[in-house]
Amino acid sequence: MKLALIGAGQIARQHLACLKTLPGVELAAVCDLSAATAEATAERYDIGAWFTDHRAMLEQIRPDAVHITTPPTSHFPLAMDALNAGAHVILEKPATCTFDELETLLGHARKTGLHVVEDYNYLYNTAPQKILDLIKSGEFGAVTHVDIFISLNILGPDGFADPNSPHPALRLSGGAIADFLPHLASLAHMFIGPHRAAHTVWTKRAASPLPYDEFRAVVDGERATAAIAFSSNSQPDAFWLRVYGERMQASANLFETRLTFDGPRNVPKPLRPFFSGLEEGKRIRRAALATLLRKFKGPGSYEGLWALLARTYRALGDGTTLPITEQQVLDVNRMIEALKPKEGAQ
Amino acid sequence: MKVLVTGANGFLGRHVVDALMKRKIDVRALVRPAARVENLAWNSSVEIFRADLRTSRDLAAAFDGVDALIHLAAVVSGGDEAQFAGTVAGTERLLEAMATTSCKRVILCSSFSVYDYSSTRGTLDEQSPLHKLPDVYTRDGYTIAKWWQERVTRRFAEKYGWDLTVLRPGFIWGRDHGYLAALGQQVGRHHLVIGPMTRIPMTHVENCADVFALAAVNPSAAGQTLNIVDGPGERIWSYLSDYMRGTGERGWRLPLPYGLSISTVRLAFATVFRSATKVPSILIPRRLESRLKPLKFDNSKLRQTLSWTPPLDYQECLARTYGATTRSGTGD
Repeated sequence: MKLALIGAGQIARQHLACLKTLPGVELAAVCDLSAATAEATAERYDIGAWFTDHRAMLEQIRPDAVHITTPPTSHFPLAMDALNAGAHVILEKPATCTFDELETLLGHARKTGLHVVEDYNYLYNTAPQKILDLIKSGEFGAVTHVDIFISLNILGPDGFADPNSPHPALRLSGGAIADFLPHLASLAHMFIGPHRAAHTVWTKRAASPLPYDEFRAVVDGERATAAIAFSSNSQPDAFWLRVYGERMQASANLFETRLTFDGPRNVPKPLRPFFSGLEEGKRIRRAALATLLRKFKGPGSYEGLWALLARTYRALGDGTTLPITEQQVLDVNRMIEALKPKEGAQ
Repeated sequence: MKVLVTGANGFLGRHVVDALMKRKIDVRALVRPAARVENLAWNSSVEIFRADLRTSRDLAAAFDGVDALIHLAAVVSGGDEAQFAGTVAGTERLLEAMATTSCKRVILCSSFSVYDYSSTRGTLDEQSPLHKLPDVYTRDGYTIAKWWQERVTRRFAEKYGWDLTVLRPGFIWGRDHGYLAALGQQVGRHHLVIGPMTRIPMTHVENCADVFALAAVNPSAAGQTLNIVDGPGERIWSYLSDYMRGTGERGWRLPLPYGLSISTVRLAFATVFRSATKVPSILIPRRLESRLKPLKFDNSKLRQTLSWTPPLDYQECLARTYGATTRSGTGD
């Protein structure tokens, strides 16, 4: 398959590094508004051609798939152009700025017989996949509730809160936190199914250009409930996923490799906490070492993106079901729509 | 004569503005929108132009009535992509704007980091080899960005027939910037001194700023590429002693032979770190070399081309760096 990429910024590096390792995939061109950025990316990843005009690239290269890794406000028009040029679209999250745009995009993809995949990379990290395997095997029991909590300092001057140049994500409803809603919603959706109702709290604690820096929500899903949260003021940085099942519970930090389980144990009940604690300690020590070692090799916490892209291109090649389906993208974005701040809520 | 200075409120920029003012050159200082300039002892003749090179739309207006650009701005924090976007794409946007104006003179602040230390033997001077493609992409984000910034600027200068001077300072030091990456590796309060007798390619910020101001007025600078070092450089061990004495920092200094250090790092890299994504620079052989390889440094081309001698000797530089503040605000 012949691929092209638009937007050679930070996340593009992860896409390109992964794509270089995939069989049957040819990176044919890269496009960026900055000629130097496009050229440097082409040199660095040994890509045959570079452009500053995406339409010229689509016209000349005729790629089979296009990765769009630009700021979210430009996703919709770029993705429509890519579909019109006959290419599947792999979109960084958030796919579009509004749900209307998403429906238009997916409708257009259906008509043209092409696919639009939104990057829900954390679904394919090792920990959520292991938990999912236990659920599928029946060992975990049905999920009753999931807790998803990102604490991440996004108030520093180098990123979303740059005082010199407003970050493009601040134009999204919810501001910088909206950039993380696809992670939160896609994980919640994986464990609880499509949402039926959601209650949210959006607040701002610190002085910054961000409209909000704290977010909480309770979501009622078809299969279970979810409590999801984003905190800019809580430290240290962490991405906690806790899944509560009928027989087992799982806890993972997706920024690291930590994953622990607690469940039935063949010991007298008063001794259960003791043995659970010992096993948890053992797992945490092993994870600490694995987290250290993975800095020396591979994609680190982007392991899910690499796994997702590998599965996506395998499915596109075989004509089998994609790892992220159109229905899933619609459901997740419907949940995101319900999570966004209501006008005048601040 | 009027000069536009980017990065004007940075460590070097503040001193370049001072040096230009001393030479009675009009200055327009380009600073970021949120930059605080109230505490800088700039007189009212310094015009402030607020813009962010990454995103501001009307950069051409910064060149109104300007005869020369001294381009110092670079992003030195954040990830590789943030540095590239700020330093290289920012330069691209600035020079695209300049191309629409009548300004035809550029003095670019490049860096020693563009030199390929690994293939340099003996003396590092303007003839020493630069990083090559695609090898440059194995270097750190700062090096890639500075190498590309020079590449972009040379292309613009050639395309539009501008007079370009590329100045490549070594390690710039001064008040609050006494600690240099060339000193080895700090471990808490303590220092691993790799190659204690190695000389540091260094220039005090006021000496360095003087070269920039001189290059703006001296026609001999046009078309030249000049390294800026004050002289052969202090030895790491003695500079570190002066630094610790000056700052009052206490700690152990552990000297390590350079040969042993680079051999150990090469072995570790070949066996363990080759595919690593997040390893300290000091553990990557080529990056260790670019900070610490024992070479000689020479400023004869700078001296001859601009008839320059450093205004401050080492003892005066030490006094300016660690002595009592003599003038409020500018830190000198």
